Amino acid sequence: MLRSKRKASDFGAEIEAHIELEIERLQEQGLSYEQARTAAHQAFGNVTRAQERFYESGRWLWWDDFWHDIRYALRILRKQPAFTLVAVLTLALGVGANTAIFSIVHAVLLRPLPYRDPDRLVRIFFNEPGVGLRDVTFSKPELDDLTDRAGVFEGVSAIGGGSANLAGVKKPERIEFVLIGFDYFSMLGATPQIGRLYGPQDYALGFSPNVVISDALWRRDFGADPNVLGRTFRFDGDPATIIGVLPPGFRHPGPTVSGDVQVWAAAGFSADPFPKPIRSNNTLNAGTIGRLKPGLTLEQAQARLTAMAAEIRKDFPTDYPPQAQWTIEIQPLQEVLVGNVRPMLLVLLAAVMLIVFIVSLNIANLLLARASGRQQEMAVRLALGASPGRMVRQMLTESVLLSLIGGLAGIAAAFGTLRLILDVVPANIPRLNEVRMNWVVLAFALLISILTGLLFGLAPALHSAKVALFSAIREGGRGSGYSARTGRLRDVLIVSELAFAVMLMVGAGLLLRTLRDLLRENPGFNPTHVVAANIWLPVPDDPKADPYPGIAPKVTFDRELLRRMKTIPGVELAAITTDLPTTSHSLNDPSGNVALSIEDRPLKSSEDLRAERVRISPDYFKLMQSPLVSGRSFSEGDEDGKQPVAIVDETTAHKYWPGRDPLGRRVRFGQDPTRPWMTIVGIVKDIKSDGLDIDGVPHIYVSIFQDPWRAQSVVLRTSLPASALEQQIRHEVQSIDPGLPVYGVSSMNDVLARSLAARRFAANLVGGFATLALLLAAIGIYGLLAYMVGQRSREISIRMALGARRNDVLRLFLQRGVALASVGIVAGVIFAASTASMMASVLYGVRPHDPAVFLIVPLLLFFVAGLASYLPARRATKVDPMVALREA
Amino acid sequence: MSTQEAENRLELLQGTLDLLILRTLIFGPQHGQGIARAIQQTSDEELLVEHGALYPALQRLEERGWLAAKWGVSTNNRKARFYSLTAAGRKQLVKETTKWKRLSAAIGRILGPEET
Repeated sequence: MLRSKRKASDFGAEIEAHIELEIERLQEQGLSYEQARTAAHQAFGNVTRAQERFYESGRWLWWDDFWHDIRYALRILRKQPAFTLVAVLTLALGVGANTAIFSIVHAVLLRPLPYRDPDRLVRIFFNEPGVGLRDVTFSKPELDDLTDRAGVFEGVSAIGGGSANLAGVKKPERIEFVLIGFDYFSMLGATPQIGRLYGPQDYALGFSPNVVISDALWRRDFGADPNVLGRTFRFDGDPATIIGVLPPGFRHPGPTVSGDVQVWAAAGFSADPFPKPIRSNNTLNAGTIGRLKPGLTLEQAQARLTAMAAEIRKDFPTDYPPQAQWTIEIQPLQEVLVGNVRPMLLVLLAAVMLIVFIVSLNIANLLLARASGRQQEMAVRLALGASPGRMVRQMLTESVLLSLIGGLAGIAAAFGTLRLILDVVPANIPRLNEVRMNWVVLAFALLISILTGLLFGLAPALHSAKVALFSAIREGGRGSGYSARTGRLRDVLIVSELAFAVMLMVGAGLLLRTLRDLLRENPGFNPTHVVAANIWLPVPDDPKADPYPGIAPKVTFDRELLRRMKTIPGVELAAITTDLPTTSHSLNDPSGNVALSIEDRPLKSSEDLRAERVRISPDYFKLMQSPLVSGRSFSEGDEDGKQPVAIVDETTAHKYWPGRDPLGRRVRFGQDPTRPWMTIVGIVKDIKSDGLDIDGVPHIYVSIFQDPWRAQSVVLRTSLPASALEQQIRHEVQSIDPGLPVYGVSSMNDVLARSLAARRFAANLVGGFATLALLLAAIGIYGLLAYMVGQRSREISIRMALGARRNDVLRLFLQRGVALASVGIVAGVIFAASTASMMASVLYGVRPHDPAVFLIVPLLLFFVAGLASYLPARRATKVDPMVALREA
Repeated sequence: MSTQEAENRLELLQGTLDLLILRTLIFGPQHGQGIARAIQQTSDEELLVEHGALYPALQRLEERGWLAAKWGVSTNNRKARFYSLTAAGRKQLVKETTKWKRLSAAIGRILGPEET
């Protein structure tokens, strides 16, 4: 742009050259120099006019005007520090909040996953739609079909794991690990920081003895030792040798995308501890990801997989009962990873957008009030020959400048507080580690700033250009300044502001009510004075090395654990559960959610008999204060070798024995006819195991002494805080087995609170925005009426001098405010009612058109609007007629 | 030239000056005065080009990228700013010429055959 700019002097030189050339030519035709000169100038026309046109046509004028406008705008802003401060601060708030939320939305929802060609990565599901099951367990041959038979994948990796005990390092600890296929790293396009990643030489039928570790583990447990390769530690009892360290930025793209994965362990899924690789052993409990071959669309790949599943069902009819309709489904990996947080993030984004609207409207209002005061200035400029277009431009320059200053302040604030914000964002939102300020976020923030500037500047700017020249000058400073047109415009702004505030408040109301209902929700137990801690009995690859094989050693451990826990001073009761309420992921975890057989109930092919299996020790219900409805609880005697027993919850009872008594009936997990039946001995009230917002999942409790399990939580009833007990719990556990880590020690109330963290965050944030919106709306109404009172003080004096009573004056202004508020509130309620259903997916227990919210919000806003109108209206009654009239 | 003579000449239609400038430059680089001369001569002195109007037009065409300009020396050894057609300018000339021909043909049809 600068290059193409041509100096006016250059243009002048060109014209001079032209005239000289023309003179010479004319002289050649026989004219005298004087004659030629006159003729040349005559032919050229007006030199000054040509130069002016050059100046106007070029960018010079535009730039000059621009800088002039900027300087003028800065002067105006400096002259009104209070206005500027309020505008810049509210803008900074709006833009800052937008920037922060957008940076999260961008990182989580919009940016492609940080792997090579991420759009070709898919999550692979095995489904049985015939019995309503998704993501079922699978067998190794089925995994092989994906790579060998389907022909649509460049690579496939099963992904399993969870957490394992790490020993042989500084102190035993519990770490997140993932179990992967050997293709995993090449598929994601990862490169190591040190050493190497898995290659063909590592291939093993079971677990590979080699592992890859994270940058974080390398720094924490190995002191960032560059010679870490080849070092070993014990990983759930097995020796593991480090072959590589991943770079700090690498994150595992799985359900545990929390970024906490420390160890990557590859396996061939064909030998111990994995089941024998035959089709009927379809018990592999893992997710699977794959990379599509280049050039294949998702639809093409899906069509091929559906066809292949049908072929396989036909080839192995005994392994695939026709009613299950076993099939394979793929979905974009990104969709699977972030799909469940999308609604909440979009609600937050919508909320901050509403805030920016409200801020804009408020500033537009302030500007309009100011514009009325500047009518005289505008009129004079119009009279001196400024074109309306120029005036609009100057006003817009002013408002965009203002919004840019506010925007920059907002961006700076967002920069400074992003860390703090991320600290309060619930950690279960995936990809949070990728959140940062980048160019896209900055561009978005700038765009928002400029758009706000145009939005709030346009109305006052257009209005000022339309001001009738003569009337404005005639009115001078004395006029009402509240012409019909300005008045109407300001009314519209206030009404929209109130309407937006209603929408935001309704959203906040619904979220807060959801949260409150969830907190009040009876979880089926009493979480107060309960402390929980997690323990995992390790599984080595080699069954012979297992310190806890079979039933007896685990039961011995559990009994010893309970005995020692009860000796801790201040502990009244101790119990064990394999499914600590609200922490279980068993809905996604097929091992917890198991197929069920019920005696004297023939299996109907289409029927989905399933229940979640929870293993507990005898005192669990007593400790959790979950009342038994009938029958008995487990006793110490319900152990291996005795009659197998079970307790069902009310949901199970109603679902599988409607109208009948399940006591004494017999059930068993799985369809293996050799397993013994379990007799139902009790019915317990429902416990919200899967989350406070999840209902209707059937649970069957079994005695941990009959069916022990490696992953378990010990719960204690005590009035001591978790922090006071942590050391003692760890000491007692490690007195039994020094290699066992104890992790996640916290009070049950904290556990419940954590399970609601995402909802609480969203509700509090939107609630904060709604409060802000309410405040801004109140300021808007207050400002408008205060301004009107000021402008109309002369009229008020006359009215009062003519006998109007103070109450009449009060009513005059109060009516105005209340009328505006009513229109805005009604409009807002209509908008909110028509958009609330979009929030249904983030609500629980509250309908999107919850009458309480739709009643309280308008009333609250109406009350606040009334108050905001009352204060300036009362001031109107204080006008002293004599003073006002004399001043006039 | 007399005033009478100038009045008998045709005023340029709005927008046609650009076309004429582009057309003139097809024979090679030329300075402003040369362009003005060429237009007048090739139109058999029928067209009146106000030289002062020529320069803002040249400036405009240069900004649009249809002309390139640089200072050089004229045949009679004077410094002058020479304009030449760019590739974009050539394309524009073809487009404008076609448009103009269609326009004049259409107007010709409406006005009917010339009366004698």
